[in-house]
Amino acid sequence: MSGQIAIVGAGPSGCYLAQTLLKLAPDLKVDLIDALPVPFGLTRYGVAADHQGTKAVTRQFARIFERQGARFFGNVRVGRDLSLAQISSAYDATVLAAGLSSDRPLDIPGGDLPQVYGSARLTRALYEHPDAADLPDLGAHPVILGNGNVAVDLLRILCKTPAELEGSDLGPGPTAWLAANNIETITIVGRSPAAKVKFDPVMVRELGKLENVHVTMEESEPSSDPEEQKKLQALHDLNGHGTGSIRVDFRFGAQPLAVEGDSQVTGLRVASVESDEIIGATSLITAIGFMSDGDLNRDALITKAATQQGGKLAERLYSAGWFRHGPRGTIPQSRTDVQDTAALILSELAIDPARTGATIFAELPNCTDYPGWQQIDRVERGQSLPGRCRQKITSIKKLINVAKQRGQKL
Amino acid sequence: MKISVLYGTETGNAEMLAEDIQSALNDEHDIDCINLADVDPGALSNETFHVIVCSTYGDGELPTSAKPFAEELAKTGNSLSGIQFAVFGLGDAEYAETFTHGSLKLADMLKSCGATQVGERMTHDASGDCPPEDVAVPWISEILNQFPLNSKEM
Repeated sequence: MSGQIAIVGAGPSGCYLAQTLLKLAPDLKVDLIDALPVPFGLTRYGVAADHQGTKAVTRQFARIFERQGARFFGNVRVGRDLSLAQISSAYDATVLAAGLSSDRPLDIPGGDLPQVYGSARLTRALYEHPDAADLPDLGAHPVILGNGNVAVDLLRILCKTPAELEGSDLGPGPTAWLAANNIETITIVGRSPAAKVKFDPVMVRELGKLENVHVTMEESEPSSDPEEQKKLQALHDLNGHGTGSIRVDFRFGAQPLAVEGDSQVTGLRVASVESDEIIGATSLITAIGFMSDGDLNRDALITKAATQQGGKLAERLYSAGWFRHGPRGTIPQSRTDVQDTAALILSELAIDPARTGATIFAELPNCTDYPGWQQIDRVERGQSLPGRCRQKITSIKKLINVAKQRGQKL
Repeated sequence: MKISVLYGTETGNAEMLAEDIQSALNDEHDIDCINLADVDPGALSNETFHVIVCSTYGDGELPTSAKPFAEELAKTGNSLSGIQFAVFGLGDAEYAETFTHGSLKLADMLKSCGATQVGERMTHDASGDCPPEDVAVPWISEILNQFPLNSKEM
């Protein structure tokens, strides 16, 4: 009898944890459960459509199912289809790795105006998450608030020409939406000075390849810190880039005070060194962090946990990835992070042969499995349009139907 | 002659490729597969042929698991004469200026310490269509054919 472990969330941290557990203990039964009918979470729906090299980690994740014996149970939303208590009682250990999918709200006057869009919401719509809202009209002057890589990802995609999207998996709807945009300026606003931005220099350099932009910013004070110098150098090199039609203006050290406008966003009021100023805007995209959507009672579980060591939340209950740490850290960092959780789970594992494991999914008629995902993957690659490597199936119902045709020839 | 596949990885992709190389050569060779994080440059052996598999991260930097090895190498001086290695680089051609610079830096460091590179450095683009093992396995097989490991002249 080998131990049975359930991981809720088949995104990068859940997959890395499964990989690590099965490397350490190949006989374990590891089941990955996801609210969506498809695995890989952020890698599929959060990593930018034009960053296919980053998405190549899914080849590793595929092997967890294809060679290491992990199983996938998709379209199982904990709290809707099964309770956490049901899962926990069926497995020797349960790990919550469901990520953080909601936008942190912009807590300033006007932050709730209709043209204020969170980056998670916009990213889901761009990358055709089945639960996404429609893509909004950003108008001629969107402002992006935030100085992290999520902000740069959105900025880059918004500025890309059709030719620059070749080889991506951006869907036909979002592609048409981008082409129909009439963006004249994008102002990217951060409260920190340039030296303290959270952009990776490589992401800033990537902007220097965009054809249809011209980049403006005020030059910043030098720094003596080597990491800050790298960022400042990348920004300096980018400044003045291009003669394209979209002006990209970086504003650093601008503390947002209020979103201006009654029913329609007209600007972002910021406090800068000298005085307040209103940056004109037709819409505001906030890339200021993520939080729990309330599912799985994350905040209560974290508060109640006696210790967060190894991601432990309670007896036989653990956490991983952003669900554990909060919304910081890259995909490779989540690989490093799961090592201590895997070791702790294995050291505490008490195998109870009475636990029923995956039989709890038998009563769920629309639960998808890994062969079902392989069928979806084949269909999506097969139906990709010219210049694209994949065309995602965008509705839950269609995903489930295609998954049910597993094993059939296309 | 023994073969050691040594990998420097950030996301695990280079580790997976190193394991694939090990599996592909396992039947015909005495071969192991080790994370560079667990390798001391001073302990490399002239009796072993080293296959380095290394990715690139950030702005053309070495991946995290190769960094301690590189730091030790920098202190090693010219003491790796007789050490033989081949090198395979993983990268993303979306970042053309720094594409596979991690493996390039590591190969240059090994050579500057007196080690001998065997065969050409081969690379793989993660944004491309084919999986890295389809490039790396024929590449290393060809090197092993050209430079038989039992040959003293190698």
